[in-house]
Amino acid sequence: MNYMKVILISGRTTKQGISLEMGKTSEEYSNNVAVIMMNENDMKKIGAKEDEHVEVRTKFGSAVVRCKESRIDRGIAFMPYGPWANMMISADTQGTGMPNYKGVEAKISATDKDVLTIANVIERIKEIK
Amino acid sequence: MIYKNIVCTLCGCLCDDIEVVTEGERVADVKNACEFSRSKFLNHAKDRAKHLIKKNGKLVEVPIEEALGEAAEILKKADFPLIYGLSSTETDAQRMAVELAELIGASIDNTTSVCHGPTIQAVQDCGAAKCTLGEVRNRADLVIFWGCNPAEAHIRHATRYSITPRGLYTESGRKGREIVHVDVRETKTSKMADIFVKVKPGRDYELLSAFRAAVKGYDVGDVAGVPSETITQLVEKMKSCKFGVIFFGLGLTMTGAKHMNVNAALRLVRDLNDHTKFTINPMRGHGNVSGSNDVMTWCTGYPFAVNFSKGYPVYNPGEFSAVDILARRECDAALIIASDPVAHFPAQASEHLVRIPTIVIDPKINLTSLIAKIVIPSAIAGIECDGTAYRMDGIPLRLKKVIDSEFLPDREILKKIIERVKA
Repeated sequence: MNYMKVILISGRTTKQGISLEMGKTSEEYSNNVAVIMMNENDMKKIGAKEDEHVEVRTKFGSAVVRCKESRIDRGIAFMPYGPWANMMISADTQGTGMPNYKGVEAKISATDKDVLTIANVIERIKEIK
Repeated sequence: MIYKNIVCTLCGCLCDDIEVVTEGERVADVKNACEFSRSKFLNHAKDRAKHLIKKNGKLVEVPIEEALGEAAEILKKADFPLIYGLSSTETDAQRMAVELAELIGASIDNTTSVCHGPTIQAVQDCGAAKCTLGEVRNRADLVIFWGCNPAEAHIRHATRYSITPRGLYTESGRKGREIVHVDVRETKTSKMADIFVKVKPGRDYELLSAFRAAVKGYDVGDVAGVPSETITQLVEKMKSCKFGVIFFGLGLTMTGAKHMNVNAALRLVRDLNDHTKFTINPMRGHGNVSGSNDVMTWCTGYPFAVNFSKGYPVYNPGEFSAVDILARRECDAALIIASDPVAHFPAQASEHLVRIPTIVIDPKINLTSLIAKIVIPSAIAGIECDGTAYRMDGIPLRLKKVIDSEFLPDREILKKIIERVKA
């Protein structure tokens, strides 16, 4: 399976901000937040096209999201703040209170798996041991 | 009805020129607002929570009295309760939450711990040369955005305060200001800037330290992906401007060195004040997150991550901050108010909220309410109830009520819980 290593950054986007006011159980929220933004050459490398599904994995967890082309450097990928990005972030704050929401090493590969729904995300959280 | 000069509580800008048009009990139109604010006002009635208690594994609707009574019982019995959130409500509710924390010996934390907590730690270490947004509007001729993206997070910041407005000593508006954006990626904010500086991910501390060395006259070479000439050119601009300001965001607080990144930025600004007037301000996210720090500081002496289990307030981020308490599975009950940790905490921290009785007070159905034991809906501060909120620069503004609500304000709900805990 073709995968590539990236530095994962999470942050605010306009669409995420607008859709969370429409309700976090809304389709708009999932559509705008369960995404990852990548450089077009990185997308080619893993064989994923616009809006196709990719699996993102870190040491701490994984999630399936849709990929979007973005003007971002190769080797960096961006996800909006939200429960999908949270699956991949460690709860260890090194004594500061603040998790590393930005700058996490991740592997990305194309996948046929479905994007996790909000209900799936909640189930996944309940299953964490 | 048309309401003028309404304060929007969505982000830390607290724009106070919003015009809201209401028809009966709904918002019909919003003027002067950004897309976020329009969405907040126009969708205020959507997705509202109900009074719910989990019975036999399912959330069922109950009368308000039952939800309040059960919430008080859970908090009274708990050995190590956690109260978390506060940044999307008004200051009276924040004050009541601190009172409740003291009463039940809880840990109390606000969303600062996962936004500008590292900023506060750095400010406690070395101080900050801050200013108000009004001063920026009227005086700043060099504006640096570092690790933040106001074009997508604080949409009207540019037009009201930092890029285009004409002020007392900034009559020429945009033309008279030099705008710099430092970030790991190009964003909509970069397009508004004259100079975009791309720093390698996680290398901000190095770059800020290089700027400090360059201000002192050292030749620093290429640092963190930024050419030596760019550093020299920017340092000259910083030293020669009349009034400079750095606005910084979570690009500094959420990466590797966290509070040390901010510490380096604060010290750079301190050094620059040997040459000119220079200031620095955090871009605070939630509408009243700044207020949550101020209120907790009036009441406890500390801005976040405070524990009352000894009967007096003890402050320690990393120990009493919410993510850590949850990740270590220490608390045995949680009251989440005006925030949504399941949407914004690492999943490994959210998981503990499923294990323990979690009480959620929030106007809307959110992801935390989906895993809660008790859900108590509240009025939206600044739309359905009045109050006070603190802008990102620490200026308090009065919130107005524009819609009658069937729901109680957060402060009333907390007051009723406190009465029941005391009973």
